[in-house]
Amino acid sequence: MLPIDLLMASRNLTRHARRNLFLAGALATVTSLLVLLASLTAGIEHAMMESATTLLTGHVNVGGFFKVTSGSAAPLVSEYPRVLAAVRGAVPDVDYIAVRGRGWAKAVSETASMDLIIGGVDVTQEPGFAKVIVPLEGRLADLAQPGTVLLFQGQAERLQVRVGDVLTLSAPTARGVNNTADVRVAVVARNVGLLSAFSAFIQGDSLRQLYGLASSTTGALQLYLRRPEEAKAIAARLRATLSGAGWRVMDPDPQPYWIKLMQKVPSEDWTGQKLDVTTWEDEMGQFRQFIFGVRALTWLLVVVLMAVVIIGILNTLLIAIRERTREIGTLRAIGMQRRKVLWLFVLETLLLGLAGTGAGALLAAGVAGLVNLVGIAIPESMQIFVMQERLRFLLEPGAIAVHVAILTGVTVLASLLPAFRAARLRPVTAMHHIG
Amino acid sequence: MSIVSIRNVSKDYMLGKTVVPALRGVSLEIEKGEFLSLAGPSGSGKTTLLNLVGCVDTPTAGTVVVDGRDTSRLSERALTELRLRTIGFIFQSFNLVQVLSVFQNVEFPLLLQGGLGRRERRDRVLALLDAVGIGSHARHRPSELSGGQRQRVAVARALVTRPALVLADEPTANLDSKTGANLIDLMKEMNRRDGTTFVFSTHDPKVMSHASAIVRIADGQLVGREAVGGDAAAAEGR
Ligand SMILES: Nc1ncnc2c1ncn2[C@@H]1O[C@H](COP(=O)(O)OP(=O)(O)O)[C@@H](O)[C@H]1O
Ligand SMILES: [Mg+2]
Repeated sequence: MLPIDLLMASRNLTRHARRNLFLAGALATVTSLLVLLASLTAGIEHAMMESATTLLTGHVNVGGFFKVTSGSAAPLVSEYPRVLAAVRGAVPDVDYIAVRGRGWAKAVSETASMDLIIGGVDVTQEPGFAKVIVPLEGRLADLAQPGTVLLFQGQAERLQVRVGDVLTLSAPTARGVNNTADVRVAVVARNVGLLSAFSAFIQGDSLRQLYGLASSTTGALQLYLRRPEEAKAIAARLRATLSGAGWRVMDPDPQPYWIKLMQKVPSEDWTGQKLDVTTWEDEMGQFRQFIFGVRALTWLLVVVLMAVVIIGILNTLLIAIRERTREIGTLRAIGMQRRKVLWLFVLETLLLGLAGTGAGALLAAGVAGLVNLVGIAIPESMQIFVMQERLRFLLEPGAIAVHVAILTGVTVLASLLPAFRAARLRPVTAMHHIG
Repeated sequence: MSIVSIRNVSKDYMLGKTVVPALRGVSLEIEKGEFLSLAGPSGSGKTTLLNLVGCVDTPTAGTVVVDGRDTSRLSERALTELRLRTIGFIFQSFNLVQVLSVFQNVEFPLLLQGGLGRRERRDRVLALLDAVGIGSHARHRPSELSGGQRQRVAVARALVTRPALVLADEPTANLDSKTGANLIDLMKEMNRRDGTTFVFSTHDPKVMSHASAIVRIADGQLVGREAVGGDAAAAEGR
């Protein structure tokens, strides 16, 4: 029976090729829009995950704050080798752990100055760093030497410096005085979205010197996991392990460390060392919100467009039912059950839906593939948000299949109402000798 | 033995707020193997009566018993099943499914019934298409056929399930008189061959003359039943 059902459904569609092509085209447009926007968002998210989690945060971070007085705070982990040992013990299968200094300084060149979030990095210990950083000038290995700094292209332009030039960093210390240090530009790297707007890296020990810190003090231990999706569970485990081992550990709070440093921690009434375990999602909160916002807008757009398409489909189905009233009555008279009439109309819409959404998905995949191949530059003002310099779509077959299924499903659901109406047509309508 | 028994049946239609009595106290027995013509002027109630016998409508009063079952007691589903298994329909305007071929139109009721294998279906459909003289057009679409050919396809579709009863409401009304006469001959041949009961309505005296019996209807009431020729005598002699 199914082959003949399919035949009837598809022939009924092609019989009114123009109006059904129009509907399928509308469906294809909505689908391709959804797939394109979703894969663009996925591309941004992927780039964000890769670059941000290397430069700014590990998948899981063991950071913390040191307070000399209750009104001050510094983003420090003292006696970090002991913490590192405890962390390694708790997460033996970690990919690698980066020991990062955290700081904030004013960079002063001969002609300009700007505020920078300074990361203290040991490039020899961080395999992931070289994957994300693309040096335009200088060699990454040079950042291993003391007294060197890595700037991003935009910063170098703003400060009007090149590799080999010297900058003065001026940093407020916990004791309330400003320390300064001269650093040589070792690397100018390609911009990486928002991060490169305000963060730079210096050699780890140089950061300690700038702040006058002991060699056993650092900013955070950044854990890179083999399976990033386990970050939340591992963070919880680390909190338990570390507080069990006697450290004071802060309650989970999904905010980046520098917001805590500026707002929350100085207002709390305690002194000494506390550890803070966060995930990359905590540290990247605003970016996640941005992605969420883009997704919400995408779906809003899709819902509005789908509403229009569905009105078109309902309208067309009602016309089709009116045109086929006698045929439906005939089929009912010769013994077709109501649910079978329902099924025939649902099947017809299902075919239309699959054709439209399938074509839309293919179209979108083609366009996305082409754009990826050609490489379209993103305007600089937008690069900050998308963390990419070129438009890049991330096509995930699973996600595309889900989108096709959702839009087809919605189409079929919408067809149920007119289909029920067709199924209720009385067989006696076959006898009316009209038309 | 009766295949259809109609007792004291009335049917009223509502036209806005006015009641239109289409049938008034009709009683009729239809025997197995009859080739019965329902004759009467336009508006006399022929279609209404055939709809009641065909289980596509139910009476306002009285009972219609088809193949031993009181139609007023059957659910919509059961009525549909009864139509599928027991009744074949031939419509005035043929009512073939435009998107299906001649073969597929005739095969369709068998697919609805289920049960037969692909080969059996094929053999039965092709044999029937040959019998109604349309075997060479199996792959054509209805729109490629003449009116007379389409009605032959409709006859084949009505007969393919080997129903006990075939109903035809003015089957020749859309055909010229020669083609109409040929169609009635064909139906009669099928009636003789398989003993299938035929009931058809017409207001064409030439068409009714082929019947074994004529039931006359006027103003929603039966006004007489007469036998025609030898076949009818057998039916009347029950
Ligand atoms: N659906 C309907 N609504 C209202 N009146 C109807 C309807 N169908 C038939 N009638 C009326 O019932 C009477 C019998 O009609 P019908 O059975 O179609 O007669 P026939 O087939 O002999 O021409 C006519 O007066 C007709 O106008
Ligand atoms: Mg009529």
